[in-house]
Amino acid sequence: MKRRPLLALAAGLPLAGWLPAMAQTATVGQAAPDFSLEDTSGKPVKLSAFRGKTVVLEWNNPGCPFVRKHYQGNLQALQKEATAQGVVWLAINSTREDSADYLTPPQLARWMAEKQAAPTATLMDEDGAVGHAYGARVTPHMYIVNAQGVLAYAGGIDSIPSARVEDIARATNHVRVALAELAAGKPVSRPTSLPYGCSIKYRNAAG
Amino acid sequence: MLSLRSSLACLALALPVFASAQNPLLAPAATVVQTEQTRTELLAHAPQGARPGQTVWVGLQITHAPHWHTYWKNPGDSGLPTELRWTLPEGVSAGDIAWPTPRKFPLGTLANYGFDGTVLLPVPLTIGPGFNASQLKVQLEASWLVCRQECIPEEGRYTLSLPVEGSTALNGAAFEASARAVPTGQAAGDSTLSPDGDALKVSLAGLPAALRGQKLEFFPELPGVIEPGAPWTQAWEGDRWTARIPLSAQRSESPERLALVVARAQPTGSGPGEPGVRLDVPVQGTWPPVAALPAAEVPAELQAALDANAARAAAPQPGGASALTLGAALLGALLGGLILNLMPCVFPVLAIKVMAFARHGDNPRAHRVQGLAYTAGVVVSFLALGGLLLALRAAGEQLGWGFQLQSPAVVATLAALFTVIGLNLAGLFEFGHFLPSRVATLQARHPVVDSALTGVLAVAVASPCTAPFMGASLGLAVALPAWQALAVFAALGLGMALPYLAASWVPAVARALPRPGEWMNTFRHLMAFPMFATVVWLLWVLGQQSGIDGVAALLAVLVALAALLWAWGLRGRSRWVMGGLSTAALAALLLALGPHITRLQGGTDNTTVATSVAGVSWEPWSPQRQAALLAEGRPVFVDFTAAWCVTCQYNKRTTLADARVLADVAQRNVALLRADWTRRDPQVTAALASLGRNGVPVYAIYQNGRPPQVLTEVLGVEEVRAALSAL
Repeated sequence: MKRRPLLALAAGLPLAGWLPAMAQTATVGQAAPDFSLEDTSGKPVKLSAFRGKTVVLEWNNPGCPFVRKHYQGNLQALQKEATAQGVVWLAINSTREDSADYLTPPQLARWMAEKQAAPTATLMDEDGAVGHAYGARVTPHMYIVNAQGVLAYAGGIDSIPSARVEDIARATNHVRVALAELAAGKPVSRPTSLPYGCSIKYRNAAG
Repeated sequence: MLSLRSSLACLALALPVFASAQNPLLAPAATVVQTEQTRTELLAHAPQGARPGQTVWVGLQITHAPHWHTYWKNPGDSGLPTELRWTLPEGVSAGDIAWPTPRKFPLGTLANYGFDGTVLLPVPLTIGPGFNASQLKVQLEASWLVCRQECIPEEGRYTLSLPVEGSTALNGAAFEASARAVPTGQAAGDSTLSPDGDALKVSLAGLPAALRGQKLEFFPELPGVIEPGAPWTQAWEGDRWTARIPLSAQRSESPERLALVVARAQPTGSGPGEPGVRLDVPVQGTWPPVAALPAAEVPAELQAALDANAARAAAPQPGGASALTLGAALLGALLGGLILNLMPCVFPVLAIKVMAFARHGDNPRAHRVQGLAYTAGVVVSFLALGGLLLALRAAGEQLGWGFQLQSPAVVATLAALFTVIGLNLAGLFEFGHFLPSRVATLQARHPVVDSALTGVLAVAVASPCTAPFMGASLGLAVALPAWQALAVFAALGLGMALPYLAASWVPAVARALPRPGEWMNTFRHLMAFPMFATVVWLLWVLGQQSGIDGVAALLAVLVALAALLWAWGLRGRSRWVMGGLSTAALAALLLALGPHITRLQGGTDNTTVATSVAGVSWEPWSPQRQAALLAEGRPVFVDFTAAWCVTCQYNKRTTLADARVLADVAQRNVALLRADWTRRDPQVTAALASLGRNGVPVYAIYQNGRPPQVLTEVLGVEEVRAALSAL
């Protein structure tokens, strides 16, 4: 009778050792968690399909003033600049359906079109699984996955946390700097920075 | 709906509603800005007027609509701290906001720090001697982010004039309340902060009695360090409060000191939190790197070893738990020990074994006894070495298999021993001539002891290399409870001795040997040369450790030793004269030159070694260099090696110098790093441990985003090329 719990413990121990590793959020310098999400037209997009290319992940929510700050031209310019150099740009929206900020896929697609945004794809992550896997907290929260599939950058879009458009000109755009460094085959000089913006409206932890 | 909220936000940004003066005393300046979410007002407190030398308090009072909040200086996971920009007359300067103690606002897995209800953010104004107006005109531009679930950035502009001579004290109560809400400053004392894995260990001493036993909230002033929304633990140990707070996986700061506020958790009411305590605590230890090396997702063969490591880390529970993996390790150790006999590592002892075998000719019983004795010698030596290794590791030493040859003294002693054996085989002297007769007869009458000693010698020089199966088993062994680890070491010894033991029990092997005769003498002399070759190798190892001076010193000692052996073999008076002289010479040399031998040469070899292919060279390994190369996106091949590991040297000069391999390396832009474990190096020991190993050779290919690939110890050209072509 007494043996059973011991045996169960023995079986569970190696598993227990691995569990935290699986639950861990994305870490710069380690493999970026792979994911497959549908874009606003329902087409699945898989991160690992872009292996060999640099991929930018942008956490997006048009309801957030910080996102709107950067969609007054800054993000569009960066998206065009990056994609012209062969970089893949994925805008990801992790807003839950019952949030006031939630946009249906067609609504989100329309907003992006109105803004003349130029990401490679705009992806829906209503259950927040991908957002949680990357530890995304805010919009806009920016990530760069290098051509080898390793997370090379995680953080804010630039160096001045504010909602003022005027600050963009004075700020250092961390994403632009990191992309230039990666393109030149150099290590990213600032692999993490402080992300700023609105909280992502995740479903409650249970969802 | 969206456009409505957007336009509302725009309204808040572009058209702050300047409420006309609500306070007749301060008319006609605009001091209040009202939006749907907040009412903000510029307040002042100057009971003694605003003459030079006075400190005047001004501040922005924010009254939030229900459910809305603004942010503290560290907003937590999202949000922005409220910003105040002052325009002041000449001679007047503004200080920083005296932040009241914040509250924590959890939001699912995220959390923010800030204020709801009504809060006043006070700022001291210093009136300098250069200020001489009759009115102090204060202008403020404030911006803040107000959030419920959604966030709205708002701004306001305010103007206020204070009489320099008169008293402004209408809002004294608000300023006093705010001052009470500011955390009390306290010296760090013996409070400590130390990063520990993925958490920050907090230990705060001497917190005020009012906080003792209470559940506290932890507010670091610097954002980007901890994971504000993650669950954490805290405890009181007397008057010391300890906590373990998860660090952010994407930490953007690694400060040397961290200013922090602790206050009672979940205070009732609204506005600021309950007054807390502020400490500025130095951080002890080092922050974990933000950009970690690629994670070890493990090749199947190492799974067992790493499982055991993980289990050990998760719960230090000896016994029971790893019975299965122990079985695998024992089998691996036995196989590994067996294969060790085929590795170049055993070259140095090959001659000893052949000699021992030949000596007993056609005597099956003697062979069997010798075989058992040799096996016992090997197993006991493995146990002794393994036990010593475990004991030293338990004492905190960063050691691995083969550690004995990391000591120049051990290497030098072995070189001397092999010189003696070589000279004996060559016929320069006979043991019987100078050993005390008891020992000499022991050797002659008890060849069993001799065989056992042969086993000891074989282990001392041949074991430091690892063989296939053996590497993973050893890596596991050092992580097992002691008795299990020793079982693994014993299995290794048994494996290594097994071929000889088996041969000694097969009569056909003994019968195949020619009858004893003159050939035995010739053979014996021949076997002296492998012994001297071993000495050459040991001298080369010593050269890596103690440099050319160490080698020269040892050679001088060996010459004196040879002279001594020869002299004591002489007869008559010359024996005593020469013997005395050579003994004195040896003693003098040991005294004078000994330190040269045992002294480790300063500084490791930092040179880059070119190869036969242009542009391909071996660089010295360091964790930093490896991380930098990986960050550049280059695959990295690491040769974990040691001068005393013959297998390592063999592979280095064959497979790793192969033109086709080097051409592949050049073509795939693989960086070659050499991690030298000839001397003790905790960094190399740690890197080996991360691969589940505790010995060399290990050949590993690291690539960004992929688990490291460990190649076999018997490194073949085709294997390396196949691994490289898969990059």
